[in-house]
Amino acid sequence: MDRIQIEQTVLAVLRTMLKQQFDSSADITREHSPNWDSLKHIEIMFALEDELGVAFSEQELANLDGFQKIVEAVWQKNAA
Amino acid sequence: MLHDIRIDGSLYRLRPVTDGDAALILELRSDPELNRFLHATSGMIVDQLGWLAKYYQREGDYYFAIERRSDGNSEGFVALYDIDWSTKTGEWGRWILRPGSLAAVESAYLIYSVAFDRLGLESVYCRTVAGNVKVVSFHDSCGIANRKVLPGHFELSGGWHDAVEHCVDCAFWMELRPRLASLVGSAAKRINRA
Repeated sequence: MDRIQIEQTVLAVLRTMLKQQFDSSADITREHSPNWDSLKHIEIMFALEDELGVAFSEQELANLDGFQKIVEAVWQKNAA
Repeated sequence: MLHDIRIDGSLYRLRPVTDGDAALILELRSDPELNRFLHATSGMIVDQLGWLAKYYQREGDYYFAIERRSDGNSEGFVALYDIDWSTKTGEWGRWILRPGSLAAVESAYLIYSVAFDRLGLESVYCRTVAGNVKVVSFHDSCGIANRKVLPGHFELSGGWHDAVEHCVDCAFWMELRPRLASLVGSAAKRINRA
């Protein structure tokens, strides 16, 4: 999976789970998305694992709190 | 009140709060990132211990530490209180977690389990400062449709703030339980695979 595909998949999951359209993917963070709460976060991370075929560590599950961080983490896993 | 309710989940358990938890309660409630929507807390451990001493005497108040099963470390606190046994209702709150903790869903699941399955309550409500949008959203994400705004309910830092009250009854708990249990089980599987 290339980086564009990763970005598209992450964006699609976030749009679906948060039921929200975003003007710019750079703006998508937990801090700036009021409905990205603790329950949604777990659902988002599990959906991403399933869609992208990756496994996040517990630390990643807790700390991946925005589009850019998620894409970078998945990209690094793909490269590894 | 002094109680002996312990309940194990998949990754976490609830156990009674003791004096040994005072330092962590104080630490969390003094964290400016966590205490924006809480009543002011004294920074003195002796005052926290004094608060706990009164709590131990207060009937219908069940205060729990949220403890990681694997290592026994506490990651936060939650409580059930103001229980009215005549109507079998109560409030849950005092919910606070260490930053980065993944215990939110499971601790909510466990406190509902205590309320409905252990204590036999028929409904439980949670009142959240309306500006605490993440926690309001958490309850909304649980699908709790029985919600209302209580204008000027909370006095914090000298000002009055609306509360959002989410109420769960036994019938809705039957719907919510499997959904939360599924998320809790899935989280445990994924975290334990490491």
